[in-house]
Amino acid sequence: MSAMNHLGTIQSTDNILHLAWDAAGERLAITPSTGAISVIDLGGHILETHPGQSLGNAEPAWFFGGLATAGFDGKIRLGDGREIRPGRGLIERLKTSPDGTSLAAGQGKALHILSKDGAIALGLPALASPAADFAWNPLNSAEIALVGAGGARMWRLGAQEPFARFDWGGASLRVEWSPCGRWLVTADQTASVHIYDFSRDYPLHIQGFETKVQAMAFSADGSRLATGGGPVITIWPTTGETGPEGVTPIQLDGHDSDMIAAAFSPVTGQLATGDDTGTLLIFTFQNETKILRKRTRLPAGISALAWHPTRAVIAVGQSDGAATLLSLE
Amino acid sequence: MDKTPVTILTGFLGAGKTTLLNRILTEEHGLRIAVIENEFGEIGIDHDLVINADEELFEMNNGCICCTVRGDLIRILGNLMKRKDKFDQILIETTGLADPGPVVQTFFVDDQLKEKLFVNAVVTLVDAKHILAHLDDGDEAREQIAFADVVLLNKCDLVTPEDLDSLEVQIRGINALAKIHRTTNAGIEIEKVLDVGGFDLDHAMELNPHFLEPGQIHHHDSRITSVGIEHDGDCDGKKLNAWLSELVRVQGADIFRMKGVFAVKGQPDRVIFQGVHMLIDAANGGPWGKRPRRNTLVFIGRNLDRTTLNKGFRKCLL
Repeated sequence: MSAMNHLGTIQSTDNILHLAWDAAGERLAITPSTGAISVIDLGGHILETHPGQSLGNAEPAWFFGGLATAGFDGKIRLGDGREIRPGRGLIERLKTSPDGTSLAAGQGKALHILSKDGAIALGLPALASPAADFAWNPLNSAEIALVGAGGARMWRLGAQEPFARFDWGGASLRVEWSPCGRWLVTADQTASVHIYDFSRDYPLHIQGFETKVQAMAFSADGSRLATGGGPVITIWPTTGETGPEGVTPIQLDGHDSDMIAAAFSPVTGQLATGDDTGTLLIFTFQNETKILRKRTRLPAGISALAWHPTRAVIAVGQSDGAATLLSLE
Repeated sequence: MDKTPVTILTGFLGAGKTTLLNRILTEEHGLRIAVIENEFGEIGIDHDLVINADEELFEMNNGCICCTVRGDLIRILGNLMKRKDKFDQILIETTGLADPGPVVQTFFVDDQLKEKLFVNAVVTLVDAKHILAHLDDGDEAREQIAFADVVLLNKCDLVTPEDLDSLEVQIRGINALAKIHRTTNAGIEIEKVLDVGGFDLDHAMELNPHFLEPGQIHHHDSRITSVGIEHDGDCDGKKLNAWLSELVRVQGADIFRMKGVFAVKGQPDRVIFQGVHMLIDAANGGPWGKRPRRNTLVFIGRNLDRTTLNKGFRKCLL
């Protein structure tokens, strides 16, 4: 496995909340929990800065070539500087639809869908309960999954009722929709995940994790799902007729503390995971039984990871505000 | 690592929550305080330290109402705790009719929050002029008082001193443990709200050393009351654990708050205990010092049977 080359580090004033490359991989948005949001290039040079939102930043999203930001003050700022405040409640994240035409923002019991001009487009009716997280269907930009109390609800934009739902008695905190569109995985408030199989309309509840699951990632080809909260990384197969059901997952170690972030490279298929004491692991899957591990120790806890979309480069965000670009090429 | 105190503010609409919050936000106390208010809360002001959240209730254990928690708080507080620039205090305002239970329970069930935060106090504002009507209207006002560590008997300028004395007796009948402060325009030294310190059974005993004795409280309404138990000597840890577990399993829905200090055989230090509904938590309470090894336990709840509770605890004694 190739060595890691340090390309550059940008220092922010607070814990790195989120990292997001634009589609072309020319710009990386570095969002700290509070304070200014930086946009850098692959060389680590700052291209632009966006003001932070008072009280705290939300996870931003690239939208029509610019960076849309939001925050705990309930405001959304589009890349062209326009500011929208659709309601009073805090906004925790923005997500752009796969076709790039819609921007979703959860605000309490409302999920706002914004069009290019910043107008609230055909969205969803008021929700019964706030959405803790949401994920677009990668194959259909008119469909979005919302999770929170009671499980997952799948909506078509403009509809009055969800077109599908997976109910359970607890609550889910985060959601990911697999690139192939078949699987929806939720990280729950309890130490469990739900993996929903749309092809069979089947919910699989997997319990027994040491801690609450904080990191989930699908591989770009949709064949693997990584989950983790404690020190152990669990890799579930998401292929075949029944996917992870009845299969013994691969368990990978190497972390000394709770795993906070996970991401698969869309280029090399490598899995990167980071824990809250600063250990970065890079796994290379040679085949299902041979997995190489590279371990690197960084000065502070790892809070966010983002692989470059077209190159073997990873951005690593840390709790001390550092965002580092590492090349594995 | 020092834990950040969280103060939960409850009270009926018009009781003075907004006045108190505005005072806390504007007075020069040198503290950096974040306020989390319900999206439909009373403050309704844009302030750099006020986060508006929409209440998200969910049940932790597949339908157990006693384990209902606030998901929005788990996420918001989790985010706040990741910041380098920490807040000195966090204040959570509930809506007028809200049951404070889920807010308090959130800090019992979420391990990550428990690591970094502790409940300083549930502070309930009571409108001295209108509280009697609210007590007659339903259970909400009684429950808010029952959950309180601190009661601010506000708008005292609108009623006579005799009425205030009578109101205090009625509040004590519901919650014998809470500190009661009489206020006008929510005027109170900030530390009496923000520096309560969570577990304060000793202080309550100092205020009213006889409150554990039967017959000391004249109840306005016997449905929600306080029951105190006090016995010298050591108890058996296993028996105590079994009794408390069974008690909250059977009667947890009716028990709003529980606090206790135990002398457990084999434990040189005090064992302090607190609970909300079915959720209980114990911790080392430090050395006994010159104090006698004495078990003190207080329940605040609905339809509590003093005799049965006493009998149950006695069986735990050695």
